[in-house]
Amino acid sequence: MSQNTELNLTGVKQSQGVWLVKVPKYLSQQWDNAAEKGEVGKITIGKKQGKTEVHFSLDAELSALGAAEEKDGSFHVPRDHPFTVQTVGGQTLAVFSQSSTDEIRLEGMVVYRAECRPVVNDNYMKLKKLQIKESTKPQRISQQLERAVTSVFKPVANHDFNMEYEKKKKTEGKMVRAERQVVLDMLFSAFEKHQYYNIKDLVDITRQPVTYLKEIMREIGTYNSKGTHKSTWELKPEYRHYHSAEEEERESA
Amino acid sequence: MTSLGSSSSSATEYTVRVPKNTSKKYNIMAFNAGDRVNCSTWTQARMERDMSGRRIYGEEETAEGAAGSEFGKKQREEARRKKFGIVTREFKVEDQPWILKVNGKAGKRFKGLKKGGVTENASYYIFTQCPDGAFEAFPVHGWYNFTPQAKHRTLTAEEAEEEWGRRNKVVNHFSIMLQRRLREQEHGEVEEDEAEKSGKKKKRGGRGGDLCIHDLEDDLGMSSDDSDSSMGDDGDNKPKVKKNTGKGAKKKKPKSSDKEALEDSDDGDYEGLEVDYMSDESSSDEEPEKGKPNKGEQLPKGIDEASESEEESEEEKQNDAEEKEEEEEEEGKKTPVQVEKKKKKDSSGESDTSDDSDIEGETASALFMGHVNQKKRTPPKRGGRGSAGSSRTGSRPGTPSIDAASTSNTLRAAASKLEQGKRQIQGPGTDSPAAKRLKMEPSSQSPVPSGKSTPQPPSGKSTPSSSDVQLTEEAVRRYLIRKPMTTKDLLKKFQTKRTGLSSEQTVNVLAQILKRLNPERKNINDKMHFYLTE
Repeated sequence: MSQNTELNLTGVKQSQGVWLVKVPKYLSQQWDNAAEKGEVGKITIGKKQGKTEVHFSLDAELSALGAAEEKDGSFHVPRDHPFTVQTVGGQTLAVFSQSSTDEIRLEGMVVYRAECRPVVNDNYMKLKKLQIKESTKPQRISQQLERAVTSVFKPVANHDFNMEYEKKKKTEGKMVRAERQVVLDMLFSAFEKHQYYNIKDLVDITRQPVTYLKEIMREIGTYNSKGTHKSTWELKPEYRHYHSAEEEERESA
Repeated sequence: MTSLGSSSSSATEYTVRVPKNTSKKYNIMAFNAGDRVNCSTWTQARMERDMSGRRIYGEEETAEGAAGSEFGKKQREEARRKKFGIVTREFKVEDQPWILKVNGKAGKRFKGLKKGGVTENASYYIFTQCPDGAFEAFPVHGWYNFTPQAKHRTLTAEEAEEEWGRRNKVVNHFSIMLQRRLREQEHGEVEEDEAEKSGKKKKRGGRGGDLCIHDLEDDLGMSSDDSDSSMGDDGDNKPKVKKNTGKGAKKKKPKSSDKEALEDSDDGDYEGLEVDYMSDESSSDEEPEKGKPNKGEQLPKGIDEASESEEESEEEKQNDAEEKEEEEEEEGKKTPVQVEKKKKKDSSGESDTSDDSDIEGETASALFMGHVNQKKRTPPKRGGRGSAGSSRTGSRPGTPSIDAASTSNTLRAAASKLEQGKRQIQGPGTDSPAAKRLKMEPSSQSPVPSGKSTPQPPSGKSTPSSSDVQLTEEAVRRYLIRKPMTTKDLLKKFQTKRTGLSSEQTVNVLAQILKRLNPERKNINDKMHFYLTE
């Protein structure tokens, strides 16, 4: 259930600023394939004519890795990605993390927002073309079958099903009336589990003929024709002693 | 860290790492710019998932096992749902909103709703700089928009709609929430309020909002706006006074709105109605003024007294009719309602004579048309009424203190006066009402002299011969012979309206008669019964 966890505010207290960077999907996919060490590339922050420029370049291996999986193989994942950096501008963005132990930490405040943009060149265009091809494929396709389906005719009753049923009937045989006491024991144990039973279910449980069972039930139980438990049988009050669920919980706790 | 050597640019290079051990899931907590949230000011904060959606998604868990459960219930329910094609969406804890409480109980509360579609087409990463200068990038798992939650009370949608309808009239907006609070309190604590009300009554003085004896609020000259603004002024002083004035004003408001409802009548509403005749006579100006003080005295008297002073009420009606014709204000509108009420009461009392019914019909229609013709200014009865007014000077009561004359006497007298007035200034076109009038005249002539006479001695056989029951010894004897009766029963037999006597007189006369008769007494059901044996 929900825990009212104390927010660990250490990150904020240290006033550590973080960057929120929007990265294209293909690049993030490559990053997921990164090596164990986790190095994915290099970022260069430079000042060019007074303006801050941030540039990210993907590791060569990762770039090639991406290409190898593709069918064409004639391109590789773009390497150069300039970042467009903007300030957060009024809106307060904070970062909080949820650990596996359900501890919530406030990691820090976002100071810059950046977008990782690819350089638009032929390589990139090829990549995009591929992506589009993938996405335009319909999810459901119609296939042509070689042979017509002959297994399904239109039977009145299912032959297999019928045979199964008859076999079952033969093996089980007619339901024999057991001793009254035995049946009563079965019924009582059943009613210990649930309060309301359908007559069909009782027949299933006890394997007794319906008339015999109804006779016994009339003796020890009542029939609900209305109400929430519509056509069900339940034990007469003198035969039952149900605790309410709460009491049971309290008892067990 | 390598640095490029160009003079105009200096760059520093950092490695970017994407850590693989993703035990922590990073999320964004976004606040609105206008809320001016400063996380560094937070001393402590608590955050939890808002699980209130679970009730909607999850079904009511019926008792499992033993009491109250059914065998195979779950399967049956599932089968049923599948049959009907009901698809229930799962309750995902991950997607539930967050509730953030900052700085404890007294601090702010925020609700964080998950923003959808963030991770679909592009991924967000959080770049943090490590002490060694490298960047670490963590993927963002979810984005939550946090909005502050209002701690003050707000109006519900229905209430907001109501207030919107009154936006042009309400000046004091502080009173809106106040009244709402009062309404809620009323439901809970009625006694407390009343105690306060009685205590603070003096302060409120002439408000008259709570104990409204009569509906002359408009005479007090207070519209809802005035009451609101004045209440606002008062309200600034003390909360208690404010509360009561709020109550008063609140009670006033529905009343005033009721009145406003009465006022509405478009021009075309009464066009199709029949009128007796049109006359171009203008009404006299003195009537309304006289009518007004009369009305003012009349209203607090109450309806019970009207039955005793019917003559006066008849004339009041005439006054009122004129008033209506004159004034287009709310008072005029009110009186027809009130007078109609009285009229109905009177008419229910007298059911004997056709004369009465005739009069009823006429005066009722007169009232109605008087009301109607307010705008047209050509009331048919006006001619009659106006002249009746002029001719009525002698009999017009200056004060409501007409001595209790016999009721049917007075009614007939009033009717006769009406007739006289009409006869004097007979307008053109005599249709059925005129015929009615003529019929009434001869019958009304005889009671005319009696009407002007002083109240007759109760024991004599008085001229109102139309009444069936006379309070005589003979009648009492007859009753008591037939069966034993209590005094109450006897009184019931001799109703004031039928005998033409007041209740006091009836009692006196009956007492005298009983003394003379000296009937025997018997106690039946603990009540003293009288009876006579022949």
